[in-house]
Amino acid sequence: MTREAAPRMPPHLGEQARPDGKWDEWIKAAEDPGGVADKPEALDDLLVLDLSHGHYGALLTATYLAELGAEVIKVEPPGGDPARRWGPAEASAGGDGLAFVAEARNRYHLTLDLTTREGRRLLKGLAARADVLIEGFAPGYLDGLGIGYRQLSALNPRVVYVACSAYGQFGPLAKNQPPEHDLTDQALSGLLHLTGNPDTAPVKVGSWISAYGQAAWGALGTLAALHWRERSGRGQMIDVTGAEALMRYLEYSVLLYHASGAIRGRTGLYELAVFPYTFVPVKDGWAFIAGYTDPNFRALCRVMGRPELGDDPRFNTTLQRTTLANEIQLRDEICAWSANYTSAEILDKVLADPGPGVIVFGPMNPPTRMLTEAHWWERGCLKRLSDPIYGELLLQMPAWRMTGTPPRLKWPCRPAGYHNSLILQKYFGIGPGRAAELAADGVL
Amino acid sequence: MTIPKDYFDWAAKLFDPSRIHEKPEALAGIRVLDLSVIYFGPATGDFLGEMGAEVIKVEMPGQGDVTRILGNASFFWKNISVAFFCANHSKYHMGIDMHRPEGQALIRQLAARSDIVIENYKAGTLEEKFGLGYRQLREVNPRLIYVANTGFGQWGPFSKGRASYDGLAQAVSGLTAITGEGEAPTKIGNYLGDWFGASMSAVGALAALRWRARTGEGQFVEMAQCEGLVRAMDWTWLYAGLTGRDRQKVGNGDHVFTPSGVYRCADGYVAVVAGTDREFHGLCRMLGEPGLLRHERFATAAARRERASARAMDAKLAAFCGPRSRKQVEAAARKAGVAAAPVMTAKDHAESEHLRARRSVWEYEDPMYGTMVEYGPAPKLSATPARIKWAGKPVGFHNELVLKRILGLDDARIKALEAAGAIGRWTEGRRGAGPPEGWKGEGRLV
Repeated sequence: MTREAAPRMPPHLGEQARPDGKWDEWIKAAEDPGGVADKPEALDDLLVLDLSHGHYGALLTATYLAELGAEVIKVEPPGGDPARRWGPAEASAGGDGLAFVAEARNRYHLTLDLTTREGRRLLKGLAARADVLIEGFAPGYLDGLGIGYRQLSALNPRVVYVACSAYGQFGPLAKNQPPEHDLTDQALSGLLHLTGNPDTAPVKVGSWISAYGQAAWGALGTLAALHWRERSGRGQMIDVTGAEALMRYLEYSVLLYHASGAIRGRTGLYELAVFPYTFVPVKDGWAFIAGYTDPNFRALCRVMGRPELGDDPRFNTTLQRTTLANEIQLRDEICAWSANYTSAEILDKVLADPGPGVIVFGPMNPPTRMLTEAHWWERGCLKRLSDPIYGELLLQMPAWRMTGTPPRLKWPCRPAGYHNSLILQKYFGIGPGRAAELAADGVL
Repeated sequence: MTIPKDYFDWAAKLFDPSRIHEKPEALAGIRVLDLSVIYFGPATGDFLGEMGAEVIKVEMPGQGDVTRILGNASFFWKNISVAFFCANHSKYHMGIDMHRPEGQALIRQLAARSDIVIENYKAGTLEEKFGLGYRQLREVNPRLIYVANTGFGQWGPFSKGRASYDGLAQAVSGLTAITGEGEAPTKIGNYLGDWFGASMSAVGALAALRWRARTGEGQFVEMAQCEGLVRAMDWTWLYAGLTGRDRQKVGNGDHVFTPSGVYRCADGYVAVVAGTDREFHGLCRMLGEPGLLRHERFATAAARRERASARAMDAKLAAFCGPRSRKQVEAAARKAGVAAAPVMTAKDHAESEHLRARRSVWEYEDPMYGTMVEYGPAPKLSATPARIKWAGKPVGFHNELVLKRILGLDDARIKALEAAGAIGRWTEGRRGAGPPEGWKGEGRLV
């Protein structure tokens, strides 16, 4: 604790302020998705260089910062980022892969061949002014080109340099490491080992979740580093791996092993720590249901019309309910009930229950069904836009709501080099003539 | 591609883990008041704490956070569930009864001296039931950043009366429906919605902190765990928008990278994926079939994505991995420049020299719990490394310290608050809430 002891608080702290109007109405107005453009942006004083080439986690790190207001220049090789080809085979947008189009938003797109001397000179010119640089090359690759953290920090000691990789920049396995992929990240993280049934192969999370986690940590580390820079005047290097990103999300796994020698494994639709907390069949598909503390479990029994289950010696304590044999019997009881109703019918029962206790329930939505629910549209969680270049796009919006500085989508992906003339003119005073020469020389 | 010979020596020195505690902390001087429960909330505070913020965790006297008693019998160790520690490092633990007016006043006083407040109650609960909502706390601290984590958000049709857990977020977001294979759902094995959401809400908090540094203005930041997972589904929505269809479930396959799969080895499972032509070429060498790349079924990424090609490659990989150990496959892949990784277990983590050297597996000594082995901070910062200082402590363990140090209360006042039930510690004999058996006061601070 570093603060001075403060004087006694003024008396008004002991009184409860009485706000006018209902909270949900007030906060809805304060966060109104329609009013976002009228508000300032938290990070609009930052210049970020996105040097992700074929690296989704690095791309996303820059995306989060761009959503929060940073000016992000995405530096691509002259042919475009290889990630532009990433997407399912059966659909694309503007000729680019959907995975790339979904996340390459709010950027300025500049092409630079970093293997040319002139390309590196221009990159250094940008890095000298940048607050943040994000890359996902093999560790040491940019250093070998003379534009790694070692060299750029000499040029700009304030720069925060984020390097994303599979095994990190240091440690016994850092040298000669293979390229980073979501699947291998999920494997190393241990998350893969936990998902699926115990008697069959492990199952990965369906989206490239390690990249999203890596980006969350990359952005968190960046903002913490920028906070420290305000006081120290100095930047630093940040090393983030997708595997460790997810590993930090694994709760107690390694402590449980340390404490008891038990190796946490796959438990399918059962749970070691909390139960009921599972998927059950309903008339119209599947649904998630949970009520694991005593009062919540009793509420669930009540809603099922089976209050006696709450006193059943197999189920009447959290310890009993998390014994696997009992979990199986208890889930069977819930399934026998849930299969008679649609998820909407069960949700009505859940919401009508007066308490005490809270039941958590909701349908397992295929994405297209989730898109029929008004809640997400009302909140602006997703947005349809008609883009002059990429056409009709349905995109997920930034994850945070902020009353003062809401994050936002400004424009979706743009073609490689789309902003070359703007960036060259703005940062280097290079006009069309010189730009054409650079293009002809293969620098752009 | 040439990597300078001295690069890894330079990086090892830059990040030298043996020097972590000598270096400054990025968020030193930032105070976080954590009013939240379970994981989606406490983890937000924990992540800020790893970066150096001073985090005060407020719990209900008596039993405290439910994670203290989560799990079956195998979770209990030293009189507490192992589930508690992962979201509660290096915090100051207070037991304050928010139901009592004196308890509420204390929280307002602490909020007045804090930079960030975190809560994860149902929308509106803290305002309506406890007088501790954003609109009330900003009255005592206009610079306050108030972070609220929920399932569905503070407003909107689903925010009314609906509680949420990670599993629900997996279900309603659509993530379950794109995970695994076949009709039946696959529940993701950790509480992904809680943890991903918590790290994102910490990002939101720090963005707000930066805005405050620029302008002096605080604000309300909210993170909904369902929306967090919606955000993390890459091209799912774009695809649904363009085609009107749900993306197909492909198990451990990948719509973009083929081959991609998880294969049984002699001693567990290994994940193998080859994205680029170059990686695929390496894979062919690893399999001892360098000619494959010239075969038209495998010559291009598009050809490799065809069902028959993918199946053929799957069979080859399964045959290659089957008799080998995970280490052998990993070593062969590394040599060939291919991404192959063991499906690691907690035991593998605990024994990994690499993860220990990076402090991703963090062993430390706690005065109350002895040797601890936990997952360490994920991002490695060279100048201000994130760190673990001590393990979670019993309910109300730091009541006196915090009240004296931050609010300047004297013993008489603290006694009075205890007598009024506004503050309290663990109930003796209550599992999970108090110290381990045989505790003799180690680690006590005041």
